[in-house]
Amino acid sequence: MKTITNKPIPEKYMDCLHKNVNEGDILFAVVGDLNLKGRYAESLMVFTKDKLVAFDECYESTFYELSYTDIETAEVKRLYGNAVFRVTLKSGTKRSVLRFSYASAEVADAAAVFINAVNDGSDYEYEAETVKSVYHKQRCFCPKCGRKLPNPEAECINCAGKGKIVSKFARYVIPEKKSLFICMLLSVAATALSLAPPYITKIMVDDVIPGRDSSKLVTVLVALLGIYILQYVMNGLRSYKLRLAGDRITLNLKKDIYEKAQYLPLSFYDKISTGSVINRVNSDAGVIQTFIMKITQEAVVQAFTLVGLVIIMFSMSWKLALFSLIPVPVVVVAGRLFGKIIGPKYMRLWRRSASISTVLANSIPGVRVIKAFTNESQTIKKFERYCDEWYKEDKKVAVPAAVFPSVITFLVTCGSIVVWFLGGQMVITGNSEISLGLLVSFVSYASMFYTPINFFANMSDSYQNTLASAEKILDIVDAEPENNFGKGNTLDRMQGKIEFKNVNFAFDRSKKVLSNINLTIEPGDIVGIVGTTGSGKSTLINLLMRYYDDYDGEILVDGVNVKDIDMKYYRDAIGYVQQEPLMFRDTIFNNIAFGSGRVHVEQVIHAAEVANAHGFISKLPDAYDTMLGERGVGLSGGERQRVSIARAVLKNPSILIFDEATAAVDSETEHLIQGAIERLISGRTTLMIAHRLSTLRKANKIVVVDKGEIIECGTPEELLKMKGKYYKLVEIQSMGEQLQKRKAEENFE
Amino acid sequence: MPRYIEGSEVNFTENDKIFVDAEFYTGEKFTELELHRMFPITGLTKYIALLDKEGNEIAVIRNIEDLMPESKKVVENCLREYYMIPRITRFIKMSEKFKIWMWTAETDKGICTFEIRNHITAIKPLYDGRVLIKDANDNRYEIPDVNKLDKKSLSMILPKL
Repeated sequence: MKTITNKPIPEKYMDCLHKNVNEGDILFAVVGDLNLKGRYAESLMVFTKDKLVAFDECYESTFYELSYTDIETAEVKRLYGNAVFRVTLKSGTKRSVLRFSYASAEVADAAAVFINAVNDGSDYEYEAETVKSVYHKQRCFCPKCGRKLPNPEAECINCAGKGKIVSKFARYVIPEKKSLFICMLLSVAATALSLAPPYITKIMVDDVIPGRDSSKLVTVLVALLGIYILQYVMNGLRSYKLRLAGDRITLNLKKDIYEKAQYLPLSFYDKISTGSVINRVNSDAGVIQTFIMKITQEAVVQAFTLVGLVIIMFSMSWKLALFSLIPVPVVVVAGRLFGKIIGPKYMRLWRRSASISTVLANSIPGVRVIKAFTNESQTIKKFERYCDEWYKEDKKVAVPAAVFPSVITFLVTCGSIVVWFLGGQMVITGNSEISLGLLVSFVSYASMFYTPINFFANMSDSYQNTLASAEKILDIVDAEPENNFGKGNTLDRMQGKIEFKNVNFAFDRSKKVLSNINLTIEPGDIVGIVGTTGSGKSTLINLLMRYYDDYDGEILVDGVNVKDIDMKYYRDAIGYVQQEPLMFRDTIFNNIAFGSGRVHVEQVIHAAEVANAHGFISKLPDAYDTMLGERGVGLSGGERQRVSIARAVLKNPSILIFDEATAAVDSETEHLIQGAIERLISGRTTLMIAHRLSTLRKANKIVVVDKGEIIECGTPEELLKMKGKYYKLVEIQSMGEQLQKRKAEENFE
Repeated sequence: MPRYIEGSEVNFTENDKIFVDAEFYTGEKFTELELHRMFPITGLTKYIALLDKEGNEIAVIRNIEDLMPESKKVVENCLREYYMIPRITRFIKMSEKFKIWMWTAETDKGICTFEIRNHITAIKPLYDGRVLIKDANDNRYEIPDVNKLDKKSLSMILPKL
């Protein structure tokens, strides 16, 4: 049987391992990447049903064996950038057994849980299965592309999509194929027409003018005028159609990026700045559009021009044509070199411009705070610093971007001088069949010939610029969206029973935020969640809201795993009132109706009434049509809160969540909000996070969270009897309240 | 206000390399204290918090330079063990597969290979020339001065900054 391990077992310990442990006894192994002194080295820890054996070059005999019966507890101590597997022996001694980077921390966690459970009398085979599932999750990779998957059954979006950048953007071009094809035909026709004037020049120089034939001159010039008219009409028509097609491409691209951004999990926004997302929707989509236009239109036209010119020039004089081609390889090589130099510079430039957007996105909405703290000059300085950084980077791009086209143009000019010199010699000596008209015409063609060459040489510049933008856009487009494996699965009627089973969660591997959460909430329960700041209360709610899905264990609603329920249906069934409710720049009516689809006016008024908001809204001059400023400017904190409660009322949810809904308001407003909440919660499962315990007077169950664990759970009376943390919190708060009351009375007197 | 340690009022001794035991001149004794830098990026030797097993802050060392020589050594050793931020001296290899970049680098802790999924969020250049890197597993690395890297390493990292 193959040993379950997070990485292949290091070769250097194989002999020692075989000598000391029977291979068949190994249940699983943890392979580390550091030695006990904190240097990079291979280390290993294997677990059997009754002992662990650790291998590290720092041990005197390379290995260290320990029976579980000698261990009191095992734990993984997370340090900064690394972690240690530590055991406390029954003798009281503590010992570090293995050291590793965060890459192995999760499996080591499972190993520590395994030892503690086995020591507590649990069956080792059952516990080993649990460990196995952790390993399994660690190795959830797409077999085709190696991308990490959220669970073994998940479909890999990388492989489900077409994969390549080009094909990813092709779907925006395909709907426009008809317009683009017409544009292309128009371009080709116009280009073909543009090849005629130099030939007409030849006829005039060689035949018409020397022959002094005025009527022929008029005929030829009328033909030339006709060609010009046709050419410019075609070009105008093409530009118009092309602009519309291009706009539609950008529009669809922007819509798609925005749509994708809406469905990305919160963990994506934890890591990326909003400014950079805005930059991607606004400017990067434009860069892509320009490039798509270049490829589908100009590149085709220029290629056509190039081929046409080569044929014409060779048919005129193969010798001169060959001389004209001399600068071509130089131009091509220079183009490639240019791409290599400028590509990374564009990437850096993009990062600087994204930083500027981030500063803007941060500071403009926070302008009230900036003014309140008179921090304008600091903010300006910061913005200037970022702009200067961008300018510094842009200067680095500007040099090659300006020099390269000039060098190419110079080479091209040299080419035409060579043609004039050689062609001129041929005409003067009169030895060849080249006439003066043919030479003039040839030089015209030769100068036209370098335009497509120039175009293809400069392509690498815009290609590099586009690649940088495409990569940023694909960052969003390719990011793993929120999982919705239960799409279409709804419950007949959500009763509101909530169960947390062995839930463990960490935002990143450096610190566990929730551990071993087990909680059952019956339908209609009013549950107060209390605990100090940072204890994990809000994270508990975040998991229930499915903002983060990457947790161990299960969360069930009415006995069904929340991951198996349709996301939209599920979130629609939950009313969530946050501490600082977000208002949109819209009317109060639309803010209440947000997320409820088409609702009747009276439903909104009723919801506002239930939320104790109707009173103040109707007194406003524009009442429900009052336009709120950004983030609800125009309403007080308490008013905003009541509008957000009205929003929740309108949804008629089965589960209600209040995340410190009254934390930031005065006592009178709290009273109003409390009234609204009490009307709203009847018959609904309600979870209330509260600092002020007075707001939990209706709660029939209290959960005390501390350092990511549930330390107390029961009815308020039970917890008071226990005289634990809840009791202490009640004591402290009632003392504080009494003091406040006394002070208020004194002041009043 | 935190209880600040100015200098000689505490004697520190080592406990299993990653912890310290502290004895104050008042006679108070604390064991298994964790050292936490309050400014792990901008101030490596200043404002080090001492946390007990429960995570409660016992005191804050204002500046480890002011401690007694023996204590200073203990604190420095412990911080070195606790904070694993390998300093990258050169890059050996970089390869990309399926939008996952594998970097192999030489560090002061030996040669290591790490994985980066998004360079924009993983690499943070600072104004003093330092570059901080956080890999896909949340491990940290530091380039002390990016301009002092050799040409090859520079050509690998510069496009990502």
